[in-house]
Amino acid sequence: MKVSYSSRVGRALARILAAALFLLPLWWLLATSLTRPSGSLLTAGFWPAEPTVENYRRLWVLLPLARYTFNSVRVVLVAVPVTLVVASWAGLALALLPRASRYRWIVFSLAVLMVPAAALWLPRFFLYRLLGWHGSLWALVAPAWMGTSPFFVLVYFRSFRRLAPALFDAARIDGAGVFQLWWRVGLPLVRPTTLGSGLLAVLFYWGDFVSPLLYLNSEAAYTLPVALQLLQQLARADWPLLMAGAVWTAALPVALFLLVQPWLQQER
Amino acid sequence: MARPQTAVRLSYHTRLRLMLLPYGLGTVALVIVPAALAFVLAFFRYDGLQPPRWAGSLNFALAVTDELFALSIQNTLALIILPVPLRVAGAFLLARLMLRGGRFLRWSRVAIYLPTATPVVAYAVAWLWILNPLYGPVNWLLRVVGLAAPGWLADPLWARPAIALISLWTLGEGFLIMLAALHDIPAVLEDAARVDGAGGWAFLRYVTLPLLAPVLLLLTLRDAILMLQESFTTVLLATGGGPYYATYTLPMFIFEQGFDLLQFGVASAALWFLYLLTGVIVVLVLLVAWQWRIGLDDEGLLL
Repeated sequence: MKVSYSSRVGRALARILAAALFLLPLWWLLATSLTRPSGSLLTAGFWPAEPTVENYRRLWVLLPLARYTFNSVRVVLVAVPVTLVVASWAGLALALLPRASRYRWIVFSLAVLMVPAAALWLPRFFLYRLLGWHGSLWALVAPAWMGTSPFFVLVYFRSFRRLAPALFDAARIDGAGVFQLWWRVGLPLVRPTTLGSGLLAVLFYWGDFVSPLLYLNSEAAYTLPVALQLLQQLARADWPLLMAGAVWTAALPVALFLLVQPWLQQER
Repeated sequence: MARPQTAVRLSYHTRLRLMLLPYGLGTVALVIVPAALAFVLAFFRYDGLQPPRWAGSLNFALAVTDELFALSIQNTLALIILPVPLRVAGAFLLARLMLRGGRFLRWSRVAIYLPTATPVVAYAVAWLWILNPLYGPVNWLLRVVGLAAPGWLADPLWARPAIALISLWTLGEGFLIMLAALHDIPAVLEDAARVDGAGGWAFLRYVTLPLLAPVLLLLTLRDAILMLQESFTTVLLATGGGPYYATYTLPMFIFEQGFDLLQFGVASAALWFLYLLTGVIVVLVLLVAWQWRIGLDDEGLLL
């Protein structure tokens, strides 16, 4: 199909404009975080006046940022692998079970997906207190034991069902058990799904603000999102400092996304 | 592969079901039981300190007669109706623009998704500065071009549009779904339509939109549920429900009743209304699925 030169240029321009528009808030965030803090009022613009990393230095002095970062990393390191294992097990089982049971589980999963998050705040609060998880990082990791969300299970189910059933049959005839079907046959064939789900799970746990807000009671256990709120309360009008905190909170997920996106775009 | 015969040999299907066990048990413990508990709690007076006492329908009466409750329902609906159509339309147009071929394909897609990959907290704090009425960059721009600069998040009239505006940048998920849906429309169709003399708009009107109708509808409903739940963090950080309760939503009401006032019963009663709102949307989803004969294990419904 031939596309005329002018429409090609028009499309390229439109893409650049749309991309710039979507990057603008993040650019302003970054630019403000690099602006020199001064007694006088901050003036907005597209470029930081006298760029400096002074705000990041102040950030580290003001907050025990290393601890908060460590807490966030710990949550992600536990929650994401557990999520992927639980979700891929369930997804594989769904793909291989007979139609009737599969149908029941999918209806169950879709129903669970519709439960509003706010509905679980209070009862989970009681549950975690009962289990002694309240106030600890276990409360933040807990959803991983159910695969975080039926969404991940359904995504794995979709991927596994796209594979030829004969693959699994052949492996079974060769004597493979369900564990080997999962580890040796299924998982290696759905690596893009694992990568995408893993990324989404990292974004979910790293950015989770409500759980630490509700289920933690000491600052020592805080993760970065609640630390950012703490900073907001400490330095309400110190915009460069606040923006530095936001950049620090966003740095890892954004970097990770940029790192893995080439593999995520391969299929399409 | 030789395997030792265990005393009890489980059948293949039983062992598959064992793989479902963590997911099933976890979901029952973390969602089903808590959700049921919250349903029941709506009929009790409970503050977390003294044992719960039966309260009949008192909590519902307390919730419904609370002025903030009615206001929170209105605000919740406004924060769905305002941004959702724009988010879906935006996702569709952007996906069309970045479907295939041409220059800057990969990097423009990355740019569209980047705000979605940013933690909501960091993003909300960033917008607090961007929309700052006095010094923020948006109002600076508006003044440079000579337009009136509204108070945005600090102005009761502008706070809701501001929250809706913020949400337009995080349409990344919808964008990916539209991209996949558009990708499934074979390029041959476009060629055929072109041969038949259809221009860009005719193709959009008579081929793309009818084919995508179910996806667009399902995405709209999914987005409505998403906004129902996820505007909470943005609102809590950016406005705290203000100014003058202009962005005070139903999840805010539940949060305050539960964790500030320790009125667990009233919070649970308000939850019933949240379920009701969600239920209406779910029924619409099922109607759409039924209309277009999308099966429950079809890919269409698993948006």
